[in-house]
Amino acid sequence: MAGIQLVNVSKRWGNVTGVRNFDLTIEDREFLVLLGPSGCGKSTTMRMIAGLEDVSEGEIRIGDRVVNKLEPKDRDISMVFQSYGLYPNMTVYENIRFPLKVRKVPKEEQHDRVMAAAEMVGLTDLLERRPAALSGGQRQRVALGRAIVREPTVFLMDEPLSNLDAKLRVSTRAQIKNLQYRLKTTTIYVTHDQIEAMTLADRVVVMNRGVIQQIATPTEIYDNPANTFVAGFIGSPAMNLVEGDISDGVFTTENMRLEGLPHTASGRVILGFRAEDATVTEGEGAITGSIYALELLGEASMAAVHVGGELVNIKAGKAFRADIGDKLTADIRPRLCHLFDRETGERISERT
Amino acid sequence: MRHRDFAAFIAPSLIAMFLFIVLPVGSIMVQSLFVEHDQVLVTTKNCGPFGCKEETRVDTQATEKLRREEPLGKFNGLGTYFNRAHLAIAQVGQIFSGNHGFGDIVSRLYDLPFYKALSFTLVYTFLVTPLCMVSGFLVALGVNAIPRMIKGPVIFLSLLPYIITPLLGSLILFWMINTDGVIGATLQLIFNDPELSLKASPVLTWVTLIVYGVWHMTPFAFVVFYAGLQTLPRDTIESAMIDGASRWERIRNVVIPHLLPLATFVALILMMDNFRVFEPIVGFSAAANATSLSFAIYNDLNGQTDQLFGSASATSVLTMIGVIILLLPVLVRTWRDFKGRAR
Amino acid sequence: MADAVMRRNTTQAIVATSLLAIWLVLAAFPFFWTLWGSFKVEADFFSRQSWWNAISGPATMLQTGGHFTLDGYRGAWIQREFWRAALNTGIVTVCVTTISLVFGTLGGYALSRSTRRYTFWILIAALVFRAMPHITLVAGYLLPFFKLNIWGVLPTAIVVLVAINQPFTIWMLHSFFMSIPKDLDESAMVDGCTRFQAFRWVVIPVMWPGVITTGLFSFLLSYNDFAVTAMLLNQDNQTMVPKINSFLGTVQTEGTIMYAVAAVVSATVPLFMLVMFFQRQIVSGLTAGAVKG
Repeated sequence: MAGIQLVNVSKRWGNVTGVRNFDLTIEDREFLVLLGPSGCGKSTTMRMIAGLEDVSEGEIRIGDRVVNKLEPKDRDISMVFQSYGLYPNMTVYENIRFPLKVRKVPKEEQHDRVMAAAEMVGLTDLLERRPAALSGGQRQRVALGRAIVREPTVFLMDEPLSNLDAKLRVSTRAQIKNLQYRLKTTTIYVTHDQIEAMTLADRVVVMNRGVIQQIATPTEIYDNPANTFVAGFIGSPAMNLVEGDISDGVFTTENMRLEGLPHTASGRVILGFRAEDATVTEGEGAITGSIYALELLGEASMAAVHVGGELVNIKAGKAFRADIGDKLTADIRPRLCHLFDRETGERISERT
Repeated sequence: MRHRDFAAFIAPSLIAMFLFIVLPVGSIMVQSLFVEHDQVLVTTKNCGPFGCKEETRVDTQATEKLRREEPLGKFNGLGTYFNRAHLAIAQVGQIFSGNHGFGDIVSRLYDLPFYKALSFTLVYTFLVTPLCMVSGFLVALGVNAIPRMIKGPVIFLSLLPYIITPLLGSLILFWMINTDGVIGATLQLIFNDPELSLKASPVLTWVTLIVYGVWHMTPFAFVVFYAGLQTLPRDTIESAMIDGASRWERIRNVVIPHLLPLATFVALILMMDNFRVFEPIVGFSAAANATSLSFAIYNDLNGQTDQLFGSASATSVLTMIGVIILLLPVLVRTWRDFKGRAR
Repeated sequence: MADAVMRRNTTQAIVATSLLAIWLVLAAFPFFWTLWGSFKVEADFFSRQSWWNAISGPATMLQTGGHFTLDGYRGAWIQREFWRAALNTGIVTVCVTTISLVFGTLGGYALSRSTRRYTFWILIAALVFRAMPHITLVAGYLLPFFKLNIWGVLPTAIVVLVAINQPFTIWMLHSFFMSIPKDLDESAMVDGCTRFQAFRWVVIPVMWPGVITTGLFSFLLSYNDFAVTAMLLNQDNQTMVPKINSFLGTVQTEGTIMYAVAAVVSATVPLFMLVMFFQRQIVSGLTAGAVKG
């Protein structure tokens, strides 16, 4: 069991930079999620930790060893791949046993450990099958079983759920969380799905274009996004971001006028608020506009209104009904709003 | 993949290619600058009762010794390239400075061995390649439409001309078109001309070789196009049908554009293979009326008395230059693509 | 495919079918004709009176007393010792195919897994090498081989054929390896394999179709070769194809052309078998390069 340290790690191919100055310390037994859109460098970071990509610059430590020059096999890690990487010519049993066989674990021990791992992921009935005869979810569990059988220092998981259908994803997610809790192994998990990140992670690292945007707990990232990128990436629907002018704590833009904001900021800014933080009111309100679209979600209704050139989502009660084009008024509590710099996208105000 | 692993994996292959492709290329470049030794002549004075006579004869021993010591021959610079058997600079100059019009130029150039070989090679390459592609495409369309059950046997029969050893394939056809063979004799019967022989006239020989070439390479084009037809975008075809396109319009507007990338590939492979045409000339005993660059090299190396290494090497170098020119469009395009997506 | 997309009217169907029929006759008839004729005597196979003689074989009846004769085969295989050439061909093709595959799988795997710039250059160089007419390279071998005193023997021809076929082999295997997901060898490496172990235990077992297809083509290239074997082997070590060519010089004068016909048929039969059993692999191999574009 060990923590992982990445010190100023960068990855370049020619003059293209994949990951830039990545600094991170992962605690022992932590469940860390790397989150970001495709091409943001999250997979590359994980592959560098695994030793599947060379590190262009910086240092990676697992426990107290610098592993930059070590082969993947010598890093004491195991990995679950997006497409599972199962060996098609071997049965489930042989697949799970493979890491033990290669590492020359004594024969008698191999069988017991394979059976224990299979038990843990619920595969005991399928051991004689080949991967081709398994469903997507079963293959996924074989990959998990193969990863845990060796009891490594670190688990690496590269989008392990993205090839499953929505329903299976939820149950497997729970299974992964439970496994990690029982095995207490440091885990790094790569995903582009923010819900996976929020539900699984002890801490989330949000990345974009090879650069870390924010490192924090899921709640912190949701409540206090560090910049407009994180704000727009986390939450469903994403946070509304509207450009406008602020002076003396009053924010104004097309269809919107909001008072009571901090006086610290002035000039052109971006104001962010979540759909559920706005409430539909009768009469006066910060937002006044005509409804562009209305979606019934079941537990609520989502109204879209043009504000400051953007389409803004406002969550209304489940009983709310209106036609397209009807007038809508909504209010927001100023202290639930976030202010961001228009140029850099960095947050200006601390949430109070 | 790390450099070290890559090097270890690729080494056997690279070493083999270096030793037996790169080095020989160097070797022929060097050889092409040398020519065989002249025979060593000795002049002896023979004095007899009727006075003295100077006699010149070949000193076989000395010649042998010289050849053994310097197998490369004597240095000749670029002489071999310019002599009559190759680029024939002097002769070409003469032809262009004094001639009786275009026809005369062509026929006199054709008398020079290198240009004779070059002209056949080029005509063969640039006729057989498109003809194969057309016939291959037609066969592919035909096979695509027949019932699944007989597809297997039909493809089997269609592959035979391609899979056959070129020399043996041309021999089989040669025996059939021979004046005694089934096709040759039948042709004589049809044209009522007992003297008719496909071997006798240069034109008929060329036609025969080109027909052989098409026969031999059509299956390759057919198989690739047939595979391409299996991946036709059905949605597009079906929407073309709903839009009211006729069968021909569908072929022209959907099928052919879909196969175009494959066609480039087929054309490239066919050109490379046709440019080295050689075995059919041996098989059809056609050397009198048609030679190719490869055949010229073979002929030099296979000389009954002497192997003409210098001459063969010079032709080889010229052939390689031809190959590079042929590949140039592909190389340039690949290079651009590569620069485009280099990261 | 007998659905709307492929439906056509009767005229089109007749034209298409008859064109295809003509092609099939062109493609296959020469082989069956020669196969049949190889069991006749020369006067029948090369009959000036009527081509029907080659089928019915009156002269064969007259000369040998049977409808078919094995004289051609007896003459070629026993009298002219064609079996020696066949044996040499066997040795050469088996060795060339095996060594080519060993070298080619290693090289093709490396090229498919490395993303570096030099892989591009190696592949381009291989493409250029593939385009070189073999006989041009042969011109470069002779003098050095004479000097090293390795001319004329089978091992030399084998090594040369392996090298000459490498460009083709690594291209083909490269495109087969590209179709195997990298995840497979990467998970093997994380599971504790070295690069070579991952290649040997995990990648090769799923590569068999590609290896077999490439092996077939290596076999064909060495079996069909004339340029290299004709120039690099001495009289005793000749393989079938150059042997048949040297038959031609003598049989015409001796009137034993049926020996050559029989030898040609004998050398063609293995190819027939090959297509019959491995048709699918050959088709997939021919298209392997194309699918990638």
